[in-house]
Amino acid sequence: MAFDAIFQPIEIGKLTIRNRVVSTAHAEVHATDGGMTTDRYVKYYEEKAKGGCGLAICGGSSVVSIDSPQGWWSSVNLSTDRIIPHFQNLADAVHKHGGKIMIQITHMGRRSRWDGYDWSTLLSPSGIREPVHRSTCKTIEEEEIWRIIGDFAQAARRAKEGGLDGVELSAVHQHLIDQFWSPRVNKREDQWGGSFENRMRFGMEVLKAVRAEVGDDFVVGMRICGDEFHPDGLSHEDMKQIAAYYDATGMLDFFGVIGSGCDTHNTLANVIPNMSYPPEPFLHLAAGIKEVVSVPVIHAQNIKDPNQAQRILEGGYVDLVGMTRAHIADPHIIAKIKMGQIDQIKQCVGANYCIDRQYQGLDVLCIQNAATSREYMGLPHIIEKSEGPKRKVVVVGGGPGGMEAARVAAERGHDVTLFEAAEALGGQITIAAQAPQRDQIAGITRWYQLELVRLGVDLRLGTRADEATLLDLRPDIVVLATGGQPFLSQYPEWGYSETPEESLVVSTWDVLSGKVAPGKNVLIYDAICEFSGVSAADFLADKGAKVEIVTDDIKPGAAVGGTTFPTYYRSLYEKEVIMTSDLMLHKVYREGDGLVAVLENEYTGALEERVVDQVVVENGVRPDEALYYALKEQSRNKGQLDLEALYAIQPQPCLSEERAEAGDGFLLFRLGDCTAPRNTHAAIYDALRICKDF
Amino acid sequence: MLDTLLPILIFSALALAAIGAVRRVRLWRQGRPSAVPLLKGLAALPRRYLVDLHHVVERDKVMSNTHVATAGGFVAAAVLMILVHGLGLANPILGGLLLAASATMFVGSCFVARRRRNPPARLSKGPWMRLPKSLMAFSVGVFLITLPTVGILPADAGHWLLALVLSALVVWGLGELVFGMAWGGPMKHAFAGALHLAFHRRAERFGEGNRSTGLKALDLEDEAAPLGVEKPADFTWNQLLGFDACVQCGRCEAVCPAFAAGQPLNPKKLIQDMVVGLAGGSDAKYAGSPHPSQGLGGKPVGEHFGAPHGPIVAPDPMTGGKALVDAETLWSCTTCRACVEECPMMIEHVDAIVDMRRHLTLERGQTPNKGAEVLDNLIATDNPGGFAPGSRLHWAADLDLPLIADLQQVDVLLWLGDGAFDMRNQRTLRALVKVLRAAEVDFAVLGNEERDSGDVARRLGDEATFQSLAKRNIATLSQYRFLRIVTCDPHSFHVLSNEYGELGGHYTVFHHSTFIAELYDAGRLAFAPWKGGKVTYHDPCYLGRYNGEYEAPRNVLKALGIEVKEMERSGFRSRCCGGGGGAPITDIPGERRIPDMRMNDVKESGAELVAVGCPQCTAMLEGVVDASAEVRDIAELVADALVMRPAGGAVDATRRPAGKTTAEEVI
Repeated sequence: MAFDAIFQPIEIGKLTIRNRVVSTAHAEVHATDGGMTTDRYVKYYEEKAKGGCGLAICGGSSVVSIDSPQGWWSSVNLSTDRIIPHFQNLADAVHKHGGKIMIQITHMGRRSRWDGYDWSTLLSPSGIREPVHRSTCKTIEEEEIWRIIGDFAQAARRAKEGGLDGVELSAVHQHLIDQFWSPRVNKREDQWGGSFENRMRFGMEVLKAVRAEVGDDFVVGMRICGDEFHPDGLSHEDMKQIAAYYDATGMLDFFGVIGSGCDTHNTLANVIPNMSYPPEPFLHLAAGIKEVVSVPVIHAQNIKDPNQAQRILEGGYVDLVGMTRAHIADPHIIAKIKMGQIDQIKQCVGANYCIDRQYQGLDVLCIQNAATSREYMGLPHIIEKSEGPKRKVVVVGGGPGGMEAARVAAERGHDVTLFEAAEALGGQITIAAQAPQRDQIAGITRWYQLELVRLGVDLRLGTRADEATLLDLRPDIVVLATGGQPFLSQYPEWGYSETPEESLVVSTWDVLSGKVAPGKNVLIYDAICEFSGVSAADFLADKGAKVEIVTDDIKPGAAVGGTTFPTYYRSLYEKEVIMTSDLMLHKVYREGDGLVAVLENEYTGALEERVVDQVVVENGVRPDEALYYALKEQSRNKGQLDLEALYAIQPQPCLSEERAEAGDGFLLFRLGDCTAPRNTHAAIYDALRICKDF
Repeated sequence: MLDTLLPILIFSALALAAIGAVRRVRLWRQGRPSAVPLLKGLAALPRRYLVDLHHVVERDKVMSNTHVATAGGFVAAAVLMILVHGLGLANPILGGLLLAASATMFVGSCFVARRRRNPPARLSKGPWMRLPKSLMAFSVGVFLITLPTVGILPADAGHWLLALVLSALVVWGLGELVFGMAWGGPMKHAFAGALHLAFHRRAERFGEGNRSTGLKALDLEDEAAPLGVEKPADFTWNQLLGFDACVQCGRCEAVCPAFAAGQPLNPKKLIQDMVVGLAGGSDAKYAGSPHPSQGLGGKPVGEHFGAPHGPIVAPDPMTGGKALVDAETLWSCTTCRACVEECPMMIEHVDAIVDMRRHLTLERGQTPNKGAEVLDNLIATDNPGGFAPGSRLHWAADLDLPLIADLQQVDVLLWLGDGAFDMRNQRTLRALVKVLRAAEVDFAVLGNEERDSGDVARRLGDEATFQSLAKRNIATLSQYRFLRIVTCDPHSFHVLSNEYGELGGHYTVFHHSTFIAELYDAGRLAFAPWKGGKVTYHDPCYLGRYNGEYEAPRNVLKALGIEVKEMERSGFRSRCCGGGGGAPITDIPGERRIPDMRMNDVKESGAELVAVGCPQCTAMLEGVVDASAEVRDIAELVADALVMRPAGGAVDATRRPAGKTTAEEVI
């Protein structure tokens, strides 16, 4: 049987898990009402259970104590009995579909923020500052240690009383337990620091207290890291020793293993490996832990594909695979494996939109699946066929917004035609995928390509739609997702011209798409600081150019998320790309064979010049509105959206308006960058919420 | 002159026929013994012929009437002729009757002749082409020579030349119809066929509503008995007799899925091969469609030969040697029983094929392709896929299924079958569990105590593994108390119900469609109205032809609000999906794939969904590339339509449009 290793049930403690796939603990940033798991939270996990996930460990970094702030990341609050009925709802929703659910519990120690909510004083073994959150803390006192140990036990009791199947003690990501473990942070000389046993003591007391509270018939596991990757931190051998030490107590039912510590920006990037990493980059660390423990080991990190999961499980490296982002991208992944619909799985591409939002305290969303974590609003993962009239839907633009619009309309059962001027689908994704380390972003397009063909959408590639072609099809609905063009004309001094030979600047699109050849000595001016600028820099440097990337913002790549800018920086520094901030591109002029870029310091107004042979400007996108205005007046709804309906995920009222006869006039919607430049998720979200009621 | 000549002719024909008959009987008696009650069989013959056989023949009304006229006319004419012309009882009444009989026979012969004018491909040609003429010669000759008997013509009317011509006609007729009957002419079918009916090895199949479809067990304890059939003489004598009864009408050929797919099996030719074998010689005289052969259109006739004590299949297939039948012919059969169902002579093709497979598997170890691997798996793991025996319930890890070992006694034992290891079938099983729970059925499963039913092993000829599995299953079942077994697998259903009995296991077994129909009739299930598109139903061979269950699945579909668009081949004439008899395992190549043809039948019915009731059918039909219809098991359709009835409240009639499997049903 294909994928039999995945579908082999396993016992964790006294609990039977129906398969080997886990959605591991991650911060959802969904727990509202003071850290309660309300409707959104429950529906998010119910969808995973419905989709076949064996075990979900929810609530990454759910706090056990009042002085471990939860508000910053809307994490779950187990410091109060008020959580118990909410857990009951959560447990029922997951159990109803045969899934199991546990929660990660922790005290985050120094790894948090103090400057808000209760203005807590953060704690850590030796009061050493944590750099990622820029957080200072006090040295924890004996009384506080024992209080927190008690808090862990009470939190575990609440999880059990709420009907959850277990708890995972977080001793990973530099939370309080592993802050005690790591000599890098724990400099104590009392019974809580120094020797191995002393450094282990806090975690051991937590484990004993928790086990004593919940008894034997409740799962208690522990998540640890496989190697902190710091010379002064815990090595893999240290971690094996620690794992074996706790395992020997017989009080733990499983281990979760994450490769890499995460108390610096650079190690944090390892923890949730983005698309630049190879598959399962840290499996060997988890396998090392498995060698020394007697209970099941769970490992997540860049396991996205069922074949990969099968191979890992078959090889016996670990007992369960975490496919957490894989579930964020497609909560029905298991069901699709079982139905033999492997090609229909929306596979995580490692864009890390989810986790990068989380680190900003924003709710976790998927770059390519707008229904994820919006289940409570009624946004569907499986689009049902419409019971209403079959419509002729014409979509213009094969970027993410257009592809989603075509997919959703086709799933509704309509007759869909999609025009794309380029020879292939993808829009800006195709350009983005040209950069080194970014090729996997094209996975978004690949899925849509497969789905659109499967759904029988009439794909007119290499065809630029004009008003006449569109109206010839007698559409009932026209969806415009025509995107836009690089906005190089904002400042005439930049010397941009639509005639390539006369233009003094080129765009990052020109460079990445290969439309212009890479220069040898290049200045990139990046006013946006998102992916395009650093991608172009990485691309040009990769082609051998000397590159300086300049921005008037804080730093090049400043708006790229926390798990991805480090991998850019690794590459850019290695290729000796110069990153300069606080300079604006004032003017470009030609001098001899070269170009002179005049840069102005944001803060002093001082000018400086660079003599280069190519100036690349990243200044965002200017919407392409021509077709919209050509069609707007003829459309029945004048191109307008009913925002109240849109935001309430209700059908657009114009869809149900009576018409004199079928084919009499059309509705016009536009979405994505042709309205205003936003991002992939925004385009896909608009496409889904508008088209789901077609 | 005729008065002298006719008795001589008649009695010499009868005498020669008697000699021929004795010789023929001796050929049959080369077979192994078979305990059939001879006198009882002979006594049952008229009813078997006039009722059971006639039911089959009657499916073709014109042919049926033709046969009644011709055969009835002939039998009557022959008897009367012996009386009137042989014994000289020139009574006008007898003469009148003889005239009527020969006239009736003549009319029938005309229809026979008409059929032969442009005969369908399935009919054998050769000597069969002259049969209508012989029939006419006999009937015309007898009619004319009888005219004087009733005084229509004077006794001495006509010239001696006319008498000679008439005598020649009668000789021709007697030669074909009396002498030929016993000496291997086309009329042999009447002689062998009648005895075959009387001494049929499955006496239990006769009688209204009776069927006998379970394979007969090999006595593995009897060291003298061959393990299957190596040579024609290894068949029982009444099997040989059965082969000899073949009338070469080719109805089997017309319905055989393997033949239609261009696989090297023509059931009619196979039976004729057996006839060649029992008499000895080559197949050169065979005048029908050959066994198909890829690229060649058909295997050339005349290259195969056999003898009663010679091997049927050449001992070493690697050297390419030929004997009576090529092994690939035997392995092409899906055991769908369409041939047996259609055979007007009640020949048991499937028994014969499995008998010969038994030899190839048990004595020679020559089960082709994946066959050996599957049998090894069954021996090692008790399931054909070689899955860990302890993983039979993995699909239900989250369902908390009650184990009969814990309960000891339940109403319904849910038999999972090996579909429990198949991800597709697990969806059916989950749906079935949902239905059983909705109807609050008291049920349990054997779980890891269940073993493969032995169906595949048996059809692949591995009787030993079948019996081993069956005996162990019977031993397990004997520990528990249950009223009946329910299964969604018609193969398990058939084996448990019809083949375990011989080994001591007697159970009441229900196919899930039958059980669901019963639950619905008892008001224990309520369905929301059907909102999907057109639906057809594919009858699984092992449910339909093997067990006669055609109605329950249709009743369930009707209860769901579905109006079934029947395929042309449905009910007892349903076309096999290609999945039975281990055929997907032995995987003999053909020009086409059987499931593709079946999916085409579905397409022609205009259905967007084909309802099935068998894991094999589901697998085969779902394996069709670019299929036009979705394949859903009846259990899935029922589970989808279930409305839970809140106590005393109205039913919740919300329902998703049919057709899309939800994740929930899958996991």
